[in-house]
Amino acid sequence: MTSTALPDDGIDRQANPQKGTTLAQREAWAGYLFATPALLGLLAFTVLPIGASLVLIFLHYDLLTPPKWAGVENVTRLTTDSRMFKIYWNSLRLTVGATFLNNVLGLLLAVGLNRAMPWGLRYLLRTSIFFPVMTTTASLAVVWRFLLTQDRGVVNFLIGQIGLDPVPWLSSSAWALVSAMIYDVWKACGYLMVIYLAGLQGIPAVYYEAARIDGAGFWQQFRNVTLPLISPTAFFAIVISLIGAFQIFDNVYVLTEGGPGDASRVIAMYIYEKAFRGFEMGYASAVSFTLFVILITLTLLQFLGARRWVHYE
Amino acid sequence: MATTTGPAAEPVTIRRTYRKSAWLRLGEALLWLLLIGVAIIEIAPISWMFSTSLRDPKNSFDLPPDFWPTALHWQNYLAVINSPDIEFMLFFWNSLKIALIVTAAQLLTCSMAGYAFGRLRFFGRDILFGLFLASLMVPATVTLIPSFIIIRSLDLMNTHWALILPSVTSAFGVFLLRQHFKSLPEELLDAAKIDGAGYFRVYWQILLPLTGPALSALGIFTFLASWNNFVGPLLFLRDWDKFTFPIAIATIRGYMGSGNQSEVLAGIMISIFPLLVFFLLAQRWIVQGAAITGLKG
Repeated sequence: MTSTALPDDGIDRQANPQKGTTLAQREAWAGYLFATPALLGLLAFTVLPIGASLVLIFLHYDLLTPPKWAGVENVTRLTTDSRMFKIYWNSLRLTVGATFLNNVLGLLLAVGLNRAMPWGLRYLLRTSIFFPVMTTTASLAVVWRFLLTQDRGVVNFLIGQIGLDPVPWLSSSAWALVSAMIYDVWKACGYLMVIYLAGLQGIPAVYYEAARIDGAGFWQQFRNVTLPLISPTAFFAIVISLIGAFQIFDNVYVLTEGGPGDASRVIAMYIYEKAFRGFEMGYASAVSFTLFVILITLTLLQFLGARRWVHYE
Repeated sequence: MATTTGPAAEPVTIRRTYRKSAWLRLGEALLWLLLIGVAIIEIAPISWMFSTSLRDPKNSFDLPPDFWPTALHWQNYLAVINSPDIEFMLFFWNSLKIALIVTAAQLLTCSMAGYAFGRLRFFGRDILFGLFLASLMVPATVTLIPSFIIIRSLDLMNTHWALILPSVTSAFGVFLLRQHFKSLPEELLDAAKIDGAGYFRVYWQILLPLTGPALSALGIFTFLASWNNFVGPLLFLRDWDKFTFPIAIATIRGYMGSGNQSEVLAGIMISIFPLLVFFLLAQRWIVQGAAITGLKG
């Protein structure tokens, strides 16, 4: 009997073919093995680049000749780069405008779509509004370039039909940035709609029933039930739209090419041009670092401010 | 009367007591107007593009514009596909190849790391996962320049590896799948362990099949991001035969946009056609996926 009990005792060893390793050690090995591919990718293309860009800030490097030590020259140059400030001002206006419009429109569209309607109509509306989100930003910017042409453009033809004068959408410094904003809202508001729709559908119906029984009308329900309960979604949506809009590149690069002059140039384009047209890798890294600081600060401020207006159930 | 006041009649009475005021009607009407108006504005440029891509090139700039095809000049599509200077279908193949490899690689590396961080215990796990979380905060614009220098020093300029390697993993994907793996019940894994399943079998045969929605959302948006990537090809690709659709179209626009709107638009139609078909087939998952993951193309 004891001889049959011994193999039972050996089960642990069978599960542990490598003698001397404990289960915890094997689990640790498995953990490292499973994490390695992603970790290598992260190290090579995120951690190493961040480290490298921190070093690049203090170098003069034009890709062709070996890098030279620059000290703080690139950093001090930032403070006197009035062109950069002008371009940051463009980015700021584009970001604030696009974020505001995308979120207001996204929320309203989601409220509109989140009502009783025939299945087919809902499908049609959602498909039409969301499809541009999936398309290629750079390629559809080519389409919008045609649409917004001053003389033979479709948009000017249509506004001419209602008696308005043609607008120099892409060729005037007053309108170029507005055009980029219009294009961004066209491209992205469907995405915000879908995010807000998911948020709205997460609000339990009992809250609305309770509000109705208390005699709340449409506006009161929206103000006192929808808005507070959608605020976590709105917070998320606003943070990601701000970060995304600050980095807009494809849109402006194709639509207006930053022009006329610098009228619609945005900061990502400026970094690109400094680095890959002017081959000033060090200075371009310094500019991109300012963008990094701005985005991190914005995100942190949002998180701090969120305590005042975001309600969690 | 007593027979009708069953439990089913209750919602009806609530709806009856709730009368629509004039303001409410106005608000609802405005919402309808907004929904339909925006839907038209969103779809009009695409239907204009399609209609104009079918116009005879010599009429391509004529006004009034068409929002519905009035001509069926399919030759424009053939002209683009059979263009003598450029092999347009090669762009399709390049885009597809890169997007498929990147998607497969990300699904694999992210789910593996998600399993390690969500389900296994090892020394340094939380610090390493913290590294992934922290890197979510880093905007792509910031790593652009050093990534370019790294690709260049690896001698990968003007190759597709330059687009594939930086995208083999994503911190967001690791985070998303780790959350999903973590939310699965412990008993399931215990049962598998008691049955003698090793770590790989637990990952491959138990966890992955249970992560369908998250995996497909990550897969769809990784594919879209790769298909629509413009900055990568702009930086790394030099030769026509390496180009993907977005960079090819921006370049074609440069030298033939002023002369022949129809053919450029036909080219764009070809490049977004796979997205259109894919979207119509998988709309539900795509829309849900966008909402779950907060990702877009």
